Amino acid sequence: MPVTALYPEYKYPSRSRQELYGDDILVHVGLRGNRLFAAPSTHRVPPAMTFAAFLTDIVTPWVSSDPELDPQGLRGWTLDGSAITPEDTATLADLGVGHKSLLTFEA
Amino acid sequence: MARKLSMKQRYAALTRDLDWTPSYVDEEKLFPYTRFEGIKVNDWAAWEDPFRLTVDSYYKYQAEKDKRLYAVIDSFAQGQGHLSLSDASYINAMKLFIQGVTPIEYAANRHFSFLARHYNGPGPRFAALCQSVDELRHTQTEAHTLSAYNKYYGGFHSWPKQFDRVWYLSVPKSFIEDAMASGPFEYLIAVSFSFEYLLTNLLFVPFMSGASFNGDVPTMTFGFSAQSDESRHMTLGLEAIKFLLEQDEANVPIIQKWIDKWFWRGYRLVSLIAAMLDYMLPKKVMSWKESFELYFEEQMLEGLFKDLEFYGIRPPADVAVAIAEKEHYSHQAYWTLYQYSYAAGFTTTIPDAEHLDWLSAQYPDTFDKYYRPLWEKAAKIEADGGRFFNTGLPQLCQVCQLPMLFTEVDDPEVVAVRDTVFEGERYHFCSDGCARIFADEPEKYVQAWLPVHQILQGSCGGPTLPEVLAWYGFQDGDSGEYVGSADQIDWQQWHSDEPVRS
Amino acid sequence: MSDTRVRNVGVDLQDANEENLRLVQAIVADNDGAQVTRMPGLVRVQVPSCMTIRRETVETHLGREWETPEFQLAIVSYFGHISTWEDDEIVIKWDH
Repeated sequence: MPVTALYPEYKYPSRSRQELYGDDILVHVGLRGNRLFAAPSTHRVPPAMTFAAFLTDIVTPWVSSDPELDPQGLRGWTLDGSAITPEDTATLADLGVGHKSLLTFEA
Repeated sequence: MARKLSMKQRYAALTRDLDWTPSYVDEEKLFPYTRFEGIKVNDWAAWEDPFRLTVDSYYKYQAEKDKRLYAVIDSFAQGQGHLSLSDASYINAMKLFIQGVTPIEYAANRHFSFLARHYNGPGPRFAALCQSVDELRHTQTEAHTLSAYNKYYGGFHSWPKQFDRVWYLSVPKSFIEDAMASGPFEYLIAVSFSFEYLLTNLLFVPFMSGASFNGDVPTMTFGFSAQSDESRHMTLGLEAIKFLLEQDEANVPIIQKWIDKWFWRGYRLVSLIAAMLDYMLPKKVMSWKESFELYFEEQMLEGLFKDLEFYGIRPPADVAVAIAEKEHYSHQAYWTLYQYSYAAGFTTTIPDAEHLDWLSAQYPDTFDKYYRPLWEKAAKIEADGGRFFNTGLPQLCQVCQLPMLFTEVDDPEVVAVRDTVFEGERYHFCSDGCARIFADEPEKYVQAWLPVHQILQGSCGGPTLPEVLAWYGFQDGDSGEYVGSADQIDWQQWHSDEPVRS
Repeated sequence: MSDTRVRNVGVDLQDANEENLRLVQAIVADNDGAQVTRMPGLVRVQVPSCMTIRRETVETHLGREWETPEFQLAIVSYFGHISTWEDDEIVIKWDH
């Protein structure tokens, strides 16, 4: 449905569009089956980052505030709702992670 | 002496006899905003105001309300009334109130004065004018009442700035700005009907009763004083919807769409109130669930919507979701505030044993199963010398701007996520309700200023957390854990036998 | 109306002073089946279908003259529809 506006050609850009983040993208990360973390979190990362670096630099520091969680045992990854099996050496771009994609996992 | 006119005659003299038909300019030019929404009004004179308010009676009674309130504020201040609150932690509810609610009142003041110029009919113009003045009065009385606490407690000092900047305050800000960016009829359905009539009781009544119960006499007084205007605003909302529905059958589907949208927008906004009711009042009045059942299910669904059925209006879409969520709403909202309060203008803490038992009793089907274990885990982290804070910036819903904290209705352990791709960009929503609102007007919501995305863009003072918090205007003692906070330490000192410092 | 159950209407008033208590008594006197409940700071009166607040009855209970707009000083909230607000009475009911 088009917006109900006072004038035709009502068109403004997204305030979160990728170009506002230079070469980076935003990635949302959610932990399934653990309600300690109330919501997924959002991070700014370069798409050339490897999945291994993403785990070490982004995900592990975030989930480590749960003392009962083993950051080595993260599994069951999904990307925007579909299951994926990421290789450590693959970059986020290789995995198909786009601007504002949602990655989820279990611990 | 001429015979005194009746209320009805005086009201007619003011609203009808003082109006005129434009002669040298087209009505369409004089009132340029009342057509583009597709609403048809055939007879503006059919507008009725049951209050039959006139200028003299309006000011007479408003002045009396103000006199009563300011007498209470003065005596509370002189009598060191803040020391007789139930507990200093109570003040956190008031911080959230002045940061999140008072700026909405001010925004409403601005927009109702705009509408007081722009409706074609004199009846709605005068009603909008009175409400505009009311909203300014509320802004002022709330600021005056709560400024008394600013001398003694953190978190009250920079609320207008914080409303424009802080992550959780973008929830009320985006709500009212969405309404202000709508046409004049949608605004009426959004604010006067959906918010003032459907939801205001949920916001004010238990909350002000809570103030009364927790020794906060000035807040109770301003709340009830404001709420007495609110009953006029409710009437405006109800009059507006009946007027528009009676004017033209073509208006019905448009109004229904707005009711669906604004019920959901308002309902998401009051999740903050749900958290406040169940978690931030040391002495409880009623639970969110009870309040929702009484003020919404009983009075609105069983009462009002039976009346609106006559016009072909059904209860809001997604109302079933709200009913199902009543068992979870406050718990999920406060759990979120608890873990992000290092970046909030108030403090949070783990409910004590008595409070946890109260929650179990109020929510026998859900609290012990889903939420008590979380608090136990937080308590264990604390016992080991820590304090659980979520260090990741939360993913936000593109429409309501709350963190994606709500779970699926049929599975309270799975976070609800909806997404869509619009013109090549992905957007996320916390619910079907928010996703539907976006789908209806994507061009509007792609412009949302989402606090987390803005922080990561570098628009909020700098890339580090301390820089962002400084840009928010937070000072030492405003944020984080309540236990050990400046407010708690001061409170204990004021209630010890030691001489009070000057 | 598809549902024939009787729907309540009601008002929430400030539980503030003697005058408001008299006001509650006047409403109870004029409305059969009125129920009064209290919460901190608040008193609620609800009645089935229709509530009438009559100036004369209120004046009798207050022992002084009273104008219906004065009701604005006592009311906190209401449910139902204000169908009449005249010099002599206020009527709250559902329309349909």
